[in-house]
Order: sequence, then structure tokens, then C-alpha cells
Amino acid sequence: MTQTEISFKGRKRPLETALKAAFFLSSVIAIAATVGIVLSMLFETIRFFEHVSLSEFLFGLKWSPQTAIRADQVGSSGAFGAVPLITGTLLISAIAMVVAAPIGLISAIYLAEYASNRVRGIIKPMLEILAGIPTVVYGFFAALVVAPFLRMTGGQLGLEVASESALAAGLVMGVMIIPLISSLSDDALNAVPNALREASLGLGATKAETIKKVIVPAAIPGISGGFLLAASAAIGETMIVVMAAGLAANLTANPLEAVTTITAQIVALLTGDQEFDSAKTLSAFALGLLLFITTLFLNVIAMRIVNKYREQYD
Amino acid sequence: MTEFLISANKPLRRRHASETRFKWMGRIAIAASLGFLVVMLVSILTLGIGAFSRTEIALAVDLGDGDASSKKIVRNALFTSFPEVTSRAERRQLLRLPSADASRELDRQLAENPDLAGQVATLWFTASDDIDQLIKGAIDTDKPQDQRRISDQELAWVTQLQDLGQIRKVFNTGFFTSGDSREPELAGILSALMGSILSLTVCFVLSFPLGIMAAIYLEEFAKKGRWSDFIEVNINNLAAVPSIVFGLLGLSIFLGYFGMPRSSPLVGGLVLALMTLPTIIIAGRSALRGVPPSIREAALGMGATQVQTTLHHVLPLALPGMLTGAIVGMARALGETAPLLMIGMVAFIVDIPTKITDAATSLPVQIFLWADSPERAFLEKTSAAIIVLITLLVAMNLVAIILRKKFERRF
Amino acid sequence: MSKPPIITARDVNVFYGQKQALNGITLDIPRNKVTSLIGPSGCGKTTFLRSINRMNDLVDICRVTGEIKIEGKDIYDKDVDVVELRAHVGMVFQKPNPFPKSIYDNVIYGPKIHGQIKSKADAQEIVEQSLRRAGLWDEVKDRLHESGTGLSGGQQQRLCIARAIAVSPAVILMDEPASALDPIATAVIEELIDELRKKYTIIIVTHSMQQAARVSQRTAFFHMGDLVESGATKELFTSPQDERTQNYISGRIG
Ligand SMILES: Nc1ncnc2c1ncn2[C@@H]1O[C@H](COP(=O)(O)OP(=O)(O)OP(=O)(O)O)[C@@H](O)[C@H]1O
Ligand SMILES: [Mg+2]
Repeated sequence: MTQTEISFKGRKRPLETALKAAFFLSSVIAIAATVGIVLSMLFETIRFFEHVSLSEFLFGLKWSPQTAIRADQVGSSGAFGAVPLITGTLLISAIAMVVAAPIGLISAIYLAEYASNRVRGIIKPMLEILAGIPTVVYGFFAALVVAPFLRMTGGQLGLEVASESALAAGLVMGVMIIPLISSLSDDALNAVPNALREASLGLGATKAETIKKVIVPAAIPGISGGFLLAASAAIGETMIVVMAAGLAANLTANPLEAVTTITAQIVALLTGDQEFDSAKTLSAFALGLLLFITTLFLNVIAMRIVNKYREQYD
Repeated sequence: MTEFLISANKPLRRRHASETRFKWMGRIAIAASLGFLVVMLVSILTLGIGAFSRTEIALAVDLGDGDASSKKIVRNALFTSFPEVTSRAERRQLLRLPSADASRELDRQLAENPDLAGQVATLWFTASDDIDQLIKGAIDTDKPQDQRRISDQELAWVTQLQDLGQIRKVFNTGFFTSGDSREPELAGILSALMGSILSLTVCFVLSFPLGIMAAIYLEEFAKKGRWSDFIEVNINNLAAVPSIVFGLLGLSIFLGYFGMPRSSPLVGGLVLALMTLPTIIIAGRSALRGVPPSIREAALGMGATQVQTTLHHVLPLALPGMLTGAIVGMARALGETAPLLMIGMVAFIVDIPTKITDAATSLPVQIFLWADSPERAFLEKTSAAIIVLITLLVAMNLVAIILRKKFERRF
Repeated sequence: MSKPPIITARDVNVFYGQKQALNGITLDIPRNKVTSLIGPSGCGKTTFLRSINRMNDLVDICRVTGEIKIEGKDIYDKDVDVVELRAHVGMVFQKPNPFPKSIYDNVIYGPKIHGQIKSKADAQEIVEQSLRRAGLWDEVKDRLHESGTGLSGGQQQRLCIARAIAVSPAVILMDEPASALDPIATAVIEELIDELRKKYTIIIVTHSMQQAARVSQRTAFFHMGDLVESGATKELFTSPQDERTQNYISGRIG
């Protein structure tokens, strides 16, 4: 009789080890991408600042990269003050938020608190369609329909509306980010425990009072996180502004005038012929880095807030 | 206590009125968003539907002289149709009734039908874009002559042709079978469509396996801790980085550093893959999380290794969910424009790209390019291209929905 | 001389969709007394309680037939406003659920929405009164503007009671108000309930027979949607009429 031998020593499994390494490496790609983004823009940006000083870029009030107007400045082929681009970006994003924040939040409230399951099941996917439409389509519609419409209506009211007004781009961009705000607000409202709803209703509050005084205040962190993400999306949005906002670097807060944005300028600078070393081309990367840092900052804060809020009610 | 519980008192009525107002605000907010959506889609649909048909003019061509060039044959056919036209200027106008491509159309028809040689035959030719727009009613003939693209003379010719039954509208196959063109009546979306297909293929081939492997690592193998948190934060941030920034990455690294071919679907696909990766990883992780732990325990309990458990038991159950996420990600990549502009996929592409290293555009970039063209006819093309793009997106999302329905959690 | 009951329920049936949860309940709730509802889990105590202030309206599939009158007025009548009803019939829930607001704002919330506040002094007065009645005043008077969620479980539950009595309801419904609390906090709540009875009518759902015996004067025993028997608490516990009651209080069912 032979005795079966039992061994607890594991076999070597080289294939499995290789697979595990592959799994690990794939997850590192996400980090590599981030590093790639930062490095790619950082090098070009550093070279840009060999031509133009940081303070001129950040505080200069004039942006005209095409024309050599200040021949006295060494290596310069134009003016690279990004302030008009920053204010233009902020103006259009602000208009978008003014449109999207109330509409998105109120829609979310209606869907989360009033609508029946059936209605919610129909409306929510329809709002999501808005998010699925490519931005180039929004841009086309903004330039073709919304801008002329605003110009015409403005004209009837005796207002001078530029044909590429900040208002047109901002309005359409606002519609684009409505689903972002409404879906994140919806999540935030749904995370508010039912016990709070019942407590308020049990005291004889109406539904609207309950929503306004208890539920929305309790969901504010989640909602504001959503607002920040939406603002970040608006700041980074490109096609709508390229097609509807134009390239006039005006320093103005008037929504009826034409302004330009960081993203629209990047596209303008980098499409068409480029000489790789010119300050003009390099400035696009400096703008890109500025854009990346701004949106990253907003995203990180937003995600922090949202996560913290989630933990609170878990 | 006679009035007890009865809602007649005034402050209460005010409170209920405010409730009703609040509810209506919600309805109006939703209606505003959806109204915008409907107006946008309907106006694009009405603008674009025309591009799916094309106007043709019938000309009696004399193919008797075998040596005459096609161009000359078409010219002569026009001149014989309108013998009263003699001045040079008017004749030049007359030549602009059919599209600039008419001679090549004649060659094609002859090649298809060699019997025609030596005869006088009535053949159909694509009309120029202005005539096409006129027939489709897009030109306001009530305006004075100098404010429209069609002269009174041309108007008279067209009316004459119409009366003789020499004008017809046919389905515009060319829109789907040709590349871009400077002549709106000849421009098609095939080159852009192929560009999109090639880029998306590259994007899928890269991002799907990578995304799934990353999701498997994070969900099944990574120890929860600083490192996996760091990766997670990274992925979430990447998902929210503006798309144009990915374009800058592609321009400076893939084109600038690695010297890959500009304007190529290869680079486009690479950039789109980086953008899509976070979506796929996030969808993949939630699909893996949906697989109940009991299945893992059953496999591990039988002595399967963790890799075996994952590949044999967990992954097959999670795959439909992962695929759904990937399709949604692909749909988003299909609509992406800005990063492709950065890497030069914004050229005028007539030839249909066949390799991932050929110069190409994509469908949304084609829309962007056409939207910039001044001709009224390109407006129609732009809208039609949008219709095609949205149809594709709807189809992809439907597939995703059906897939999700079909493989809905059965455990 | 006995006063008329404040609440009279006649043949109350409650359905959740097809499923009937209460079968023809007929019960009188006496004024200024504590009535406890006892019975095994799932027998319909909560359902009955929530049909008294129509919190059941929040459940789409829920349907109520029969009649529940408060002060002679059928609360399911068309002209009854639930908002008004709930101002008169307050509710305290199983788990303390203070709003994530300050203690002060928690208490003043109800009076504010019902427009019971004319001046700032009014508000101060109501807050202090309610917190005193809920036996919480001394513990929180120096931190009225700190968040109500920062209190201990027992304090939170008393805050919820203060919040309920701030609107001066006639009836207070309590659904297992002490089940999430430790024995000491429970004792405090029980004392409080006995105190509150002077001013309010209280209906309390409880799983603890000792608690029912300690705090209530009347008890109703529910079993699988039926009201098996009801009467003075002492009698029901010492000489139950029905076998099911007997079994339940001796611990054989539930
Ligand atoms: N929202 C609801 N939808 C469907 N059925 C419900 C709902 N609420 C309660 N029920 C059912 O009604 C019956 C009575 O439930 P109820 O909550 O009133 O019991 P209970 O006596 O309070 O139990 P417990 O002591 O466990 O709290 C149960 O069978 C329950 O399943
Ligand atoms: Mg209960």
C-alpha cells in the first residue's frame, strides 16, 4: 500500500504572474496619461516663457498673437496677455451656469421628489440625450440659429448684439451642462435619508416646504459638487465656443459683445500652419496648462466634497 | 372646534399655492430643456433632410463622334438644348447648370453601358448646387436678382427644363459613397466616416483590453490603500479633463516626440483611447462589483487561484456590463471633435482612407469643416452629416441598452 | 365622569396593493392618556399609527377604508388637509431623525412653517418651552446653535419630541421611540412620556411589554392585522381575554 503524499507547496505559475503584472501595468496607464499630459504641456510652456514673461501672460490685458506690434520686445511676435481670454472664458461659463444651475437643479428636484416612477423613467433618459449630443452639434446650432436669433431680437429691442455674442455661446453651453447638474443633483437629493422627509412631513410641512427647507439644505454639499464639475466642464468646453464665440479678444463683461476663450484660442493657434518654436504656437500649450490646472483644481475640490457627503449618509 | 382640520384658512391656502407654483417651476424647467432639444433636432432634421436627395438634369448627348472629349459632348448637349443662347457670357452661365463633374459622370455612364457609343442618348447629370437648392425650394425667388445666387436667366432655363420633364430628384447615393469635395453637390461623408471607423477601431482595440485589465487589477487584486486610492483619484480626474487637453498631449507627444503621422486615425485613435479609458475602467469596475462574492468564494474554495477565479468565473459574468460601458465610451469618442483638431485631422480629405496611417478626418470634424463653408448647399450637407452622426450614436446606445437588458443580473 | 375619546377608529382596513395589512380595526383612543399598541412584528402597528396622521399617503400603493375621526372629524374626508392634520397629530419616529440644522432651528421649524411665530421673542419662548417639556433644556441651553445631529441618541430623540410638541399638537404618535436607545436614555424618555400625558394624547408602538406596562394606561394588542383586544393596560396584562394575547404576553408568540 502506498500512501498518498500531500504537499502544500504551491506550483509555479509563470503565466499567472505575467497576467498579474499586465493587470497592474494597465492600471498604471491612467497615471502615465496624467503624467504625459502634464509633461507634454510643461515643456512647451517653459519654452514659451523664454519668449514671454509669466507676469505678462497672467496679467497682460492684450492678446494678439498674430501681429508683431511690439517690435521692441525681444523674440516677441505679438501680445500674449491672457486676461481677456480668462475673462471671456469666465463670462461664457458664468452665463452657462446661470442658465444651467437653476434649470438643472429644479429639474432634478421635480424628478427626485414629485415625478412618478413612470414619468421619471421617461424624462431622465431624455435629459441624458442632451448630454450625449456631440458638442459640435451644439456649436453648429448656436452659430446657425441661436446667435442670429439673439441678434435679431436684440435689434428689435434696440440692443446691439454682436453676431458672435458671448450670450449665444453661453446659453447653448448652459443647455449642454444641464444634464450634468441635474443628474448629480438628483444623486445628492436621493442620498438624503427618507427619515428627514418623514420628519418634516410629519410635522405638517408641505412637500415644497420640506424640499426647500430640509432636503435641499441637506443635499447642498452634493449639489455644489455637481455645480463645480459643471463649471469645470463649461470652462473646458471647446467646440461650442470655437463655432459660436469667435476669436475677438475683447476685455468686457457685456454678454452681448463678442469675446474669445482659452479653448477657442488654443484651437485657433494650433490649426493651420504652425512653426513649432514660435511664441504663437507655444502659447497654446501655456494656455492648455492654465486650462488643465484650473479644471483639475475644480474637479479635485468637487470630488472631495461629493465623496465626503456620500460618507456622511452612508 | 368646528373648523378643525379643514383647509379653508388663508395661510394654508397660500402654502398650498406656493407648492403648486413650485411644482410648475419643475415642469417648466424640464420642458425648457426638452424644448430646446426638440427645436434643435427638428431644425437640423428639416435643414438636412434635403441632402439625401439630389437634383438631376437630363441632357440629350450626341455620342456619335468617338473622338470628342466628354467635356465637349456635355457642352454641345447643353448648347443644342438651348439654341437661342449665343452670347459668351450666357453660354458660360449655361455651362454651370450641371455640376462641374458632369464630364466624369458621362464617362462613368459610358463605361457601364458601352452600347451607348455612337448614339444620341438622353442621360441624367447631377445638377449644380445652386440649381439643386432652387429645386428644393431653398432659394427665395421673390428677392431681386442680385440678392440671390440664381439669375433670372437661369431661372427661366430651369423652368423650361422642368416643363420638358428634364429635371428630377433622386436619392443621393453619392452622399454616402464619396469623399469631401469643394463642390457641395458632389461632397459626401464616406471619407469622414471611414476616418471615424478607423480611429474608433484603434481606440477600441487599445482602450477595451487595457481598461478591463486595469479594472480587474483595481477590483480584484489591488490592496485597498494609498496606492489604489491614488490610481482611483487619477482615473476620476482623467475622466473630467477637458478633451482639448488630450489633443495637446497627442500633438506634443505622439506627433512631436514619437513622430507619428499627422492627421492619421492612428494618432486620433490613440488620443481617443486615452480619453475613453477612464469611462471603460469605471464601467468595468462597477460590472465586477456586481458579481456576487459568493461566486469568488466558491471558486477559491475549490482551490482555484485568484487569476483562475477571475478569468473563469468573475470576468464572464462581468463582461456584458463591461461591453455596455465600452460602447457608451465609444459613442462618446465618436462625437469628439476638439482633440482631433489638435492633431491635424482637420484636413480636406477627398480620398477614402483605408489604413490607419492615411490622412483622414472624422465625422464630427467634417461637420465642423462644412459648417464653416459659405455655400447654402453645405448648410444642408452639415445638417445631413449631423443626422448621420446622431443616428449612429443612437444605434450604439440602443445596442448598449439592449445588451444591458439582455444580461440584466440573473444572480 | 369620562370625557369622550379624542380618536375613534371604525372598521379601518388598510391595503398595500392587493395585500391587506389591517382588517377592520375599531378602537377608541382616550384623551390625555397613553395608549400603547403591541403585537408581534408585521402585525400592522406601524400601519395603524401612520394612518392616524395619514403618513400612509406617502406610500403610493397604500389604500385606507373605514373611518378615523379625530374630535369628531373624519380625517379621510375630502376637505381635510393633511398638512393641517399633521400639525395637530405629531409624530416621533423609531430612529431619531433630527434635521442637519441647529437645535434651535430644529425646534422652531414646525412653528415657523405653520406661521405660529409673530416675533423673535415668541420664537425664543416656544423653543425654550418645548425643550423644557422634552426635558432637554438644561442639557442644551448653552448650545442651541450647534447642530442637532451632534447630540447623543437619547438627546436626539428628545429633540425630536421637542420638535413635535413645538407645534402644540393634540396627539403625539410614537413608533418605538426608544428602540434605538440604551436603557438609561429609555428610562428618561419613558418618564417624559408620562409627563407629556398631562397635555397631550399619546399613542405609542412598542415591542417591550414592560415598557407598555410602565408608560401606558390603555393597551391594544394586534395580531396579523387584527385588533385582538384592547383595554386598560393593567387588566390586559393580568387577565387577557384572548388566547393569542395570553400567548403573546407570556412570550409564546412574537
Ligand atoms: N410600504 C409597504 N408596502 C407593502 N407592504 C407593507 C408596507 N409597509 C408595511 N407593509 C406590510 O404590512 C404589514 C404590517 O406592517 P407594519 O409595518 O405595520 O408592521 P409592524 O406591526 O409595525 O411591525 P414591526 O413591529 O416589525 O415594526 C406587514 O406585513 C408588512 O409587510
Ligand atoms: Mg413597525
